[in-house]
Amino acid sequence: MLGIWMRIRELFRGTRLDGELDEEVNLHLEMIEEEFRRRGMNQAEARAAARREFGGVALAKEAYRDQRGFPRLEIFVKDARYALRGLRRSPGFTAAAVLSLALGIGANTAIFSLFHTLMLRMLPVAHPEQLISINRTGGWGVGTVSEPLYRQIAGRTDLFSGVIASNRVQKVRFRPRTGDREEYAQREYVSGNYFRVLGVQPVMGRLFSAEDNRVPGGHPLAVLSYDLWRNHFGADPAALGRTVLVDQQPLTVIGVAAPGFYGVELERRAEIWVPFMMSSGQVTSPNMWWLSMIARKRPEVSRQRAQAALSVLMRQHLTALYGPRYDAAFREKALGQRLEVREGALGLSMLREHFGKPLGVLLALVALVLLAACTNVANLLLARGAARQKETALRLSLGATRTRLVRQALTETLLIAAAGSALGIGLAAWGVRAVAGFLPEQAGNPFSNAPDLALLAFTIAISAGSALLFGLGPALRSTAVHPAAALRSGGADPGRPALRRTLVVAQVAFSVVLVALAFLFGHSLLAMRSVDLGFRNQNVIAFSLDFPRLWNGNAQQAQDRLMQTLAATPGIYSVSGAFPPPVMIGSSSDASIRVPGSERTVTRPADVDVTYVAPRYFETIGATLKGRDFDRNDTATGPKVAVVNEAFVREFLPGESHPESRWLSFDDDRPEGGERTGIVGVVHDIRQNGIQDKIVARVYVPLSQHKVSYPPDILVRTALPLPAVRAVVRRELPQLGAGLVVADVTTIRQRIDDSIFEQHLLATLGGFFGVLALVLAAVGLYGVMSYGMARRAGEIGIRMALGAKRVDVVGMVLGDAMVLFSGGLILGFPLEWAAALAVHSLLFDIAAADPVAFGGTGAVLIAVALGAAFLPARRAASIDPMRALRHE
Amino acid sequence: MSTRETKSDILQGTLDLMVLRTLATMGPQHGFGLAQRIQQISGGALDLNQGTLYPALLRLEHRGWIRSQWGVSGNNRRAKFYEITAAGRKQVEKESADWARTVQIMDRFVRLAETE
Repeated sequence: MLGIWMRIRELFRGTRLDGELDEEVNLHLEMIEEEFRRRGMNQAEARAAARREFGGVALAKEAYRDQRGFPRLEIFVKDARYALRGLRRSPGFTAAAVLSLALGIGANTAIFSLFHTLMLRMLPVAHPEQLISINRTGGWGVGTVSEPLYRQIAGRTDLFSGVIASNRVQKVRFRPRTGDREEYAQREYVSGNYFRVLGVQPVMGRLFSAEDNRVPGGHPLAVLSYDLWRNHFGADPAALGRTVLVDQQPLTVIGVAAPGFYGVELERRAEIWVPFMMSSGQVTSPNMWWLSMIARKRPEVSRQRAQAALSVLMRQHLTALYGPRYDAAFREKALGQRLEVREGALGLSMLREHFGKPLGVLLALVALVLLAACTNVANLLLARGAARQKETALRLSLGATRTRLVRQALTETLLIAAAGSALGIGLAAWGVRAVAGFLPEQAGNPFSNAPDLALLAFTIAISAGSALLFGLGPALRSTAVHPAAALRSGGADPGRPALRRTLVVAQVAFSVVLVALAFLFGHSLLAMRSVDLGFRNQNVIAFSLDFPRLWNGNAQQAQDRLMQTLAATPGIYSVSGAFPPPVMIGSSSDASIRVPGSERTVTRPADVDVTYVAPRYFETIGATLKGRDFDRNDTATGPKVAVVNEAFVREFLPGESHPESRWLSFDDDRPEGGERTGIVGVVHDIRQNGIQDKIVARVYVPLSQHKVSYPPDILVRTALPLPAVRAVVRRELPQLGAGLVVADVTTIRQRIDDSIFEQHLLATLGGFFGVLALVLAAVGLYGVMSYGMARRAGEIGIRMALGAKRVDVVGMVLGDAMVLFSGGLILGFPLEWAAALAVHSLLFDIAAADPVAFGGTGAVLIAVALGAAFLPARRAASIDPMRALRHE
Repeated sequence: MSTRETKSDILQGTLDLMVLRTLATMGPQHGFGLAQRIQQISGGALDLNQGTLYPALLRLEHRGWIRSQWGVSGNNRRAKFYEITAAGRKQVEKESADWARTVQIMDRFVRLAETE
């Protein structure tokens, strides 16, 4: 303890202590001297004897100083000062090194931050590792369960210590007090045991219990998130017991949940929790699939056992539910469903399914970028070391140890790494925002810029790792100098700079992989973009009306009126509507049909996709139609009509030259078939669900002749810009009824973009990293070539004096560059092949051995290599033989 | 071979004990005085590089076994005096005992060679 205090004091009083030591040592020497003089020596003899007796004065002082204070720290500070001076003296080098590293570290931090949020971070609840999620899979896609099925699963206390249910977090109208302005809040419907099973505590009041979720519509209660309580109620305890309006439902606030808890859905933060029995619709119906489940598994139950038990349970449930009274096609699909146990610790996320794998690929890409950046910095350091060889040699011959010089060099790399990481963290914050900008609005956004310990640890680890990676080699290489030889030869490096050449080869190899991946992703994106969607007008504007839960108007009438107003607006060519709307991924609607005369439906009805559309639908979206479009005469009471697609004709009426003369019927549970529906047109196949949609048999029917449970999207074909259309809609809304809002007004093109955002992101970032790698490789190649030229100036001078032409010299330099470059290509192409295979599943309709990617990569790299080598080559060719030789 | 009496190098780690023991018995000393005493006690048989005393003194001070103070030497010169602390005295006892044991052990080995 005492020692530390002394050391700290010594740290600040270095100069004074040096003086005191001098005084002490001098006194000691004088005393020995006096002693010897007393023994009869003369002054000179005595002085020499005293020195002998004392030993090395400087050595003793040095040993003394080495012990004082915190010697390592002092040496480090001294080295850091020295390094800083050196870095300031060569700002070009410093900027290049710091910037390469900052880009590498920034890219890694940004992508890791996204990856961590989506794939690694556990829910802030008690023992998240015990949680599993239970998903329905099969014919109807991945998803939710019904309330009776949930209750059955929750009853399996032999498997689970608790099972919670919630529905997707939804943005709903919210009024903190009656009379307040209406705002929006994120609501999650939850089961009564939700908080108890997750182990979340209240900060105030109480949270739900099983008693709060018994009867449909019987529990008008709400729990607020800590953030909402603070933002809307100023953390006022009086919020407790107050009535809030959530989606026009008056609910009593009973408690506030612990801070930091935002529900179990990753990309949507819940702000208000409501017992799910308060949801509208037939909550307890076995046919309403709407609840997501998370269960806390008993520790002694294995995941396999839980999975097996749930499979049995699901089969029994489905068999009981879908008895023989359902038609065969439907039963087959319904009974094909399964329950699947998955990891639950990370929470629920739709985004993870789509975005997880691309993020993994990006993580690998940025690792390569960092490697390329490290190689670049190592190369710069080597160049610097070579330039400083004379200085190094001088210091070595003056008695500096090699360890000391290596330590000094490493201190410099540490400073570069520190500056690079600081700048990189800034870049990362920007990068996270840029990547999140690619996410479509409906995907939610789980990414925040909140500082995170894991993230910080990651950044520090990669910074330190890269400092070692790029610093150690050059530090050892630059200090391996024969002082005498180096001083004699005037600082020229004996032998070829093999390490630098190897590094350039590595850089070229990294660039090959990164550039090839950029080409692959770009090509894939182009391929997606050029898919024929079956309709021309991608600039059609689409939006839907959002009706309040308690709306006293007629939705159908309001919609018709808005469509008429829009149709009468100058600049708007046509207006229609559809459900499901075009390129609305995830919504589908199907029905069982029979087609008289078709062999396919003789014994049992067939399942087809159905789209409900308004008049002039095909004209509005620009589809090629044989026959007629729907119009105003297709009314509810008129003859039932339908338009089918070409796939339908191929499947049900093969070889029929006049499908317009045939008819079909919706099965409606009656063996003899339902009402006669005349086919009035055949439309070219439309990829209704976007680019990756499979073409299936589809029937289009008029909205006016069928009941649809969701409001259809309104579609507008217009020359007006989007904001103008939005303005017209906003102006019209109040006339249609109070409380109406319009949900996101976008173009179909935007929806297509949103549906392939991962591809878009991969192509953009891939391109960015590819260019970055190219720049780094070009700088490396240029550096090595110029250095080589400077070193061989004399040799080139002699060659030219002996009659070599300029062309020969240029050829020689370019040839040398090509040797390095080919090395990189030979190394890079197998890596590229491996990388292409790894990302193949993310590519759309592109082979791993894509000729465009391979060819393009080769061409781009050759161009860059020639460009980087050309300048040094030209400089070499303009060497004046006489001057070069004289210099020698 | 030289017939002169050879001086011993200081065994690693023994200088600390010599300094502490000297300060414990002779009272406060300045650097020169301390060096003189150590050589006297050794009967001139030690090859002490006097300069090495100073780093050792600093080391002992850091450990809290001695303390230093500027004072005035016999011929009226400003000098730094070193003095043993209570903790230092304890350390001397402990190290002396350790040494005694080591010497005893080594002695047995040496005598083993003599009896053969």
